[in-house]
Amino acid sequence: MTDRETFLNHLAEQSGRPRHQLKDNPLVPINDLPESTLSGKTQDELLAIAKENSEKVNVTFQTTSKADLPQALNAFIKAKLTDNKDDPYQANGHDHLLLPSSDLYKDFDLEGWRDGLTDPKPTYWMPGAGRDANIDTAERAGAAIAFADFLLAESGTITITTTPGQGRAFHFLPVHYLSIIRKSNILPRTRQAMDYYAPALASGEIKTSNINFVTGPSNTGDIEMVLVVGVHGPLDMTYLVVEDM
Amino acid sequence: MSKAKNGGLKTATMIRNSDHDFLTRVKESEQDTFAQRAVAKAQDAQWIKRESARRDLGNWEDWRNLGEQIRQHVVRYLPDYLEEFSDNVEKNGGHVFFAQTDVEAQQFIKNLAIEKQVKQVVKSKSMVTSEIGLDKALLEIPGLDLLETDLAEFILQEDDWDEPTHLVFPALHKNRDQVREVFIKKLGYEGDNDPQHLARFARKVMRERFLKNEMSITGCNFAIADNGMINLDTNEGNADLCMAIPKIQVVCMGMERIVPSLKEAEVLDGMLARSAVGQKITTYCTFTSKQVDGETDGPEEFYVVIIDNGRSNALGTDFEPILQCIRCASCLNVCPIYRHIGGHGYGSIYPGPVGSILSPVLQGNYDDFSELPYACSLCSACTATCPVKIPLHKLLIKHREIEMDDKHMANIIDDTVMKVVGLGTGHSSLFRTALGMDHMALAPLARKNPDVAENLYSNGKHLEWMPFVFGGWTKVRDLPDPPAHSKNFRSWFAKHKKEQAKQGGLEAAVPQAPKNSNAFRPTGEPVLRADGYHQNGHPITEAHAHAKSQTKAPSRVGHHAASLAGENVPAGSHIDGDDIAKAAAQQEGTRNHD
Amino acid sequence: MRVVIFSTCVVDLMFPNVGKAMVEVLERFGCETFMPLQQICCGQPTYNSGYIKETKHVMRNEVDALLSVDADYIVGPAGSCVNMLKELPHDLKDDPEYAAKAQQVADKTYEFSQFMYRILGVLDAGAELDAVATYHRSCHMTRLLGERTSPFVLLDHVKGLKMIPLPHIENCCGFGGMFSMKEPEISKQMVNEKVNDIISTDASVLISCDPGCLMNIGGRFNRLGKPMKIMHLAEVLNTNVDLARVKYVESQEEVMA
Repeated sequence: MTDRETFLNHLAEQSGRPRHQLKDNPLVPINDLPESTLSGKTQDELLAIAKENSEKVNVTFQTTSKADLPQALNAFIKAKLTDNKDDPYQANGHDHLLLPSSDLYKDFDLEGWRDGLTDPKPTYWMPGAGRDANIDTAERAGAAIAFADFLLAESGTITITTTPGQGRAFHFLPVHYLSIIRKSNILPRTRQAMDYYAPALASGEIKTSNINFVTGPSNTGDIEMVLVVGVHGPLDMTYLVVEDM
Repeated sequence: MSKAKNGGLKTATMIRNSDHDFLTRVKESEQDTFAQRAVAKAQDAQWIKRESARRDLGNWEDWRNLGEQIRQHVVRYLPDYLEEFSDNVEKNGGHVFFAQTDVEAQQFIKNLAIEKQVKQVVKSKSMVTSEIGLDKALLEIPGLDLLETDLAEFILQEDDWDEPTHLVFPALHKNRDQVREVFIKKLGYEGDNDPQHLARFARKVMRERFLKNEMSITGCNFAIADNGMINLDTNEGNADLCMAIPKIQVVCMGMERIVPSLKEAEVLDGMLARSAVGQKITTYCTFTSKQVDGETDGPEEFYVVIIDNGRSNALGTDFEPILQCIRCASCLNVCPIYRHIGGHGYGSIYPGPVGSILSPVLQGNYDDFSELPYACSLCSACTATCPVKIPLHKLLIKHREIEMDDKHMANIIDDTVMKVVGLGTGHSSLFRTALGMDHMALAPLARKNPDVAENLYSNGKHLEWMPFVFGGWTKVRDLPDPPAHSKNFRSWFAKHKKEQAKQGGLEAAVPQAPKNSNAFRPTGEPVLRADGYHQNGHPITEAHAHAKSQTKAPSRVGHHAASLAGENVPAGSHIDGDDIAKAAAQQEGTRNHD
Repeated sequence: MRVVIFSTCVVDLMFPNVGKAMVEVLERFGCETFMPLQQICCGQPTYNSGYIKETKHVMRNEVDALLSVDADYIVGPAGSCVNMLKELPHDLKDDPEYAAKAQQVADKTYEFSQFMYRILGVLDAGAELDAVATYHRSCHMTRLLGERTSPFVLLDHVKGLKMIPLPHIENCCGFGGMFSMKEPEISKQMVNEKVNDIISTDASVLISCDPGCLMNIGGRFNRLGKPMKIMHLAEVLNTNVDLARVKYVESQEEVMA
C-alpha cells in the first residue's frame, strides 16, 4: 500500500495547492436551504406532511394515543402473525415476534404489555447474547416492533440508532416491521436529524456505530424498471405515531 | 492528459470492458433492440420522476449551487479532508489503506481475504470495485464464494458476469425473460417471468448467503471526514445486510467521495436520490462505522481502502470538476447518445457523458477511449441536469482540444478540412469568394430527385453525396445545394437596401412598442436551468410533454412508453405504470414551470 | 432602432429565405437593419471540434464585423450561433484587445424570437398560417441561451396555426454540427427518432429557430421520401401578415421567464 503521506502529497502536488489550508478556509454554505426548507411548521402540520409522504412510499401510517398503544400493537401482531398463518414466510419458519431490549418500554408505558405477551411469546434482541444468537433470532422473526429516534416529515423517513438491545440486523431480517415514534419527534427534514446526531456523536452523548435512515419497505426496479416492494429487507412497514408524547 | 504534471502518472488499467472498436460497438447496440427500447423507456420514466422530485423540493437551482459549492470545496481541500477522515476512522478502531493504483487496492483486499481465511464474501454494488477488477481477483482464491447482492448485479453475476450498462440500473439491458432463463439455468428457478416472483426468489437465494457471510465488501457514497463514518445509499437494503452480519467489512472508496460532515452528506444524499431515481431519499441511507462496545452485530474489523487510480490526473487541470461527480447517473438518463448506443457502446465501465470524460482521465491517455469525446452532439442536456453543476459538455470539448493539439488523432484529411474550415470562416475575403463561386465545384453532385421536404431547398436541388468528413452528412440525409451567388441572402440584402434607398428609406409599418429592455438580460454565462417550456400561453414542463408523448406517440420509443402507461399492473406489486400516470396527472394544470 | 443582422454562415450559404424573412419582419417592426459584409461565422464548427486555437481568429473577425456598425442590437436567426456570441466574453477573456469588445457584442445580441418578444414586446406579429405544425426546440437555444418561451408565445398568436406538442421535445435531433458528419451512425438513430416523433404529431409543418436542426431533420425527411414543410419561425411570422392583428405585450410583468 501507499504510505499516507506519499498519497496525500501527490494530490497536493498534482493540484498545485499546498496541504493544510483548510483551517483558514472552512466551508461556509452559500445558502440556508437545508434549514429553511419546510421550516416553521407546527407539530400537527408536520404530522400531516409525514403521513402523506410515508404513504407515498408504501408505509402503513397509523396514529394512536399512549393509552391505546398496546391495543394498536396487538392488532399489528394479530394481522401479521396470529391471523396470518398461511403466509409462506411463516411456513418457512419466520414466525416469531421480535422485540428490542430497551429502556423505552417504560417511557411508553409498555412494560406491562410486553410482559403479558403470550401469543406468540416474544423473542428479544439481547445485548449479551452474541452475534450468532441475535442474528438467528432476527432471521426467524415474522414480525418485529422497534423504536425509532425520529420521523422526517418531508420524506417519510424513520431514523434509528443501533444500540446493544436493538442491533443492525433487527431492522433488516424480519418479514414485517413496525416502528413506534413519538409525535414530538417528528422533524421537518434530514437536516434537523443531523442537527441532533452530529453533536450527540461528537460529544459521546450517543455511542453507536450505525445510524439507519429508513424510508419505507425495501424495493427494487432492477428488472425492467418495474418496482418490486420487498427485496432484502422487510416486505412491509408500519409507522405508529404516539400522538400525546 | 497532456496537462497532468508528473510525479509519475498513476493510471487505471481495468476500466475498459470491451475488445470491440467503437463503430462495432455502436452497431451491436443498434441491433440490440430490446436494450435500446429499455434505455429509452428508462429515460422517459426518469424525466418524469426526476423533474417532479426536483420541482417538489423547490429552489432547485439554488440547491445545485449549494451542491456544487460543497463538492468544489471538498475537491479543493481533498488531502486535508482525507487526512481528517483517516484519523477519525483509526480513532473509531478502523484501518485505512491508501492505494494509488487499481492493482494495489485489488491485491490488498485479496491478501486480506487470504489472510483472514474467509470463504464467503458478500458485496453490495460499487463501481469502484469494478474499476479495480476486484471480483475476478477474489475468485482466484481457491474455495472462495463471492456474491453480488444488488439485484441487478446479482443477475449479471449469475449470467456469467455480464457487463453492466448503467451506473444505477446495471441490468437495464436484460428483460424479464432473460432474467428468468438465467435463474432457471443457474439456480434451479421454476417460476414465471413476473419481476416480483423473480425478485422474491433472488431474496431467498441471497438470504441464505447473507447469513453465512464472513466478509463484506461495500462501496461508499460519502465518507464523513469529521467522524470517520461512511454513508451508503441503497433501495434494496442489501448493503445493510452485508455489513450487519459478518465480522469483517472492507469499504472501497474513490478518494473524492468525501464530505466535511453529516450535514453535507445529508444535502448530497437528497440531491443524489432525486437526481438518480426521483426519490427524496433512498429507501436506506446509512451512516456506519466499526462496531462499538456492547453492540452484537456489525463489523469488528473495519477497513477503508481509499483509491486514487488516475483520479489525481484531473487535479489542477481543466478536468478537476469531474471529481465533483456523485454518480447519480442523471447525465446518462438525459443523454441522447446513451439513449441510442446504450451502456455497452462506450466500452468502459463508466458509460454516458460522465464516462466519456472520466474514462480517459482515469486512464491518463486516449489509447482506448479516443472516440468517446466525439460521441456527443453537445446538446448539453447533461450539463443542465447535473446536480453538482459539472460543465460536462464543455469538458468533452476540452478533451477534443487536447486530442487535436497533442495527439493528432484525427484522420489527416479531416484534420486538413477542418483547418481549412477554420481558415475559411476566419477570413472574410475567402468566405466571400466562396459565396461568390456559385459552388461550381458542387454542381455535378446536385441531384434533381424530387424534394419531398418542402421549403428546405431554395434552388430546388439537394446533394446526396459529399466528400471528406462531409460524407458523414450525406450518408444519413440530403444537403441543400447552396443557392447561386445571385440568389443568396447577401445578394438579396444588397438589392433590398438599394430599393429601400430609392423609396426614401425604411418606413416602419407599425408604431414601435415601448422598449421592454428589462424583460430579459442574459449575461455572457450560459443559463442552465431545469427544463420547462411554454405552449399555448401556459407553462408546461418537459415531464408534461412526456406524459403527452406516452399516450400519443406511435413512434418506436413512444409506442413502448405508451404501452407502459397502459400496462396491466397487478395490485400492490408493480406500481411503475401507475407512477407515471400519477405523475402525468400531477403535471396537468401545473403552472409553475422549472 | 438600429439592428445589425448576424446572418450566420448557414443562412448565408444555404437559407436565403430565412435571412430575408427575418429582415422583413424586423423592418416591419421599425428596425433599421445593417449587414456587415466581413462577418462570417461564430466559430462553432471548429471550436466544438476541439480546434480552439484555430477558432480564435474566427471569433475576433466576427466581433470586429458585428461592431463595425454602430447599432443598438445584434439579432441572429439561430439560437445556437447566438449563444456562441453570448459565450464570447468567456472564450476571449484572456485577450486584452478583444475581451471588452466581446462583452459589448454579447450584451446586445439576441436570438430572433427573443428579440421580438422580449425587446420589441411583440405578442402577435400579425401573421396567418393555416396549418397544423409542431415546434422543434434546439438544445443550445433552450439550455445554453436559456430561451424556452419566446417562440411558443409568438407561435401561439399566429392566426390559423394549430401547434401540436412534440413528444421527446427535450431530445437532440442529432445535428450537433460536426457531430452529424463525424458520427453518422449515431446521428442517424437520433434523427430517425426525431422524424418519427414529428410524424406522430400529424403536423404538416415543422418549425424551429435553428436552421442547423432544420437542415438535419428536413434532410432526413427528404432522404426517407417523407413529406414535411420545413419553416424557420421568421418565415412563419412573415406569412400573410395583416397589420391590424399586431399585438404587443402590455406590461413588463406579463413577459414570461
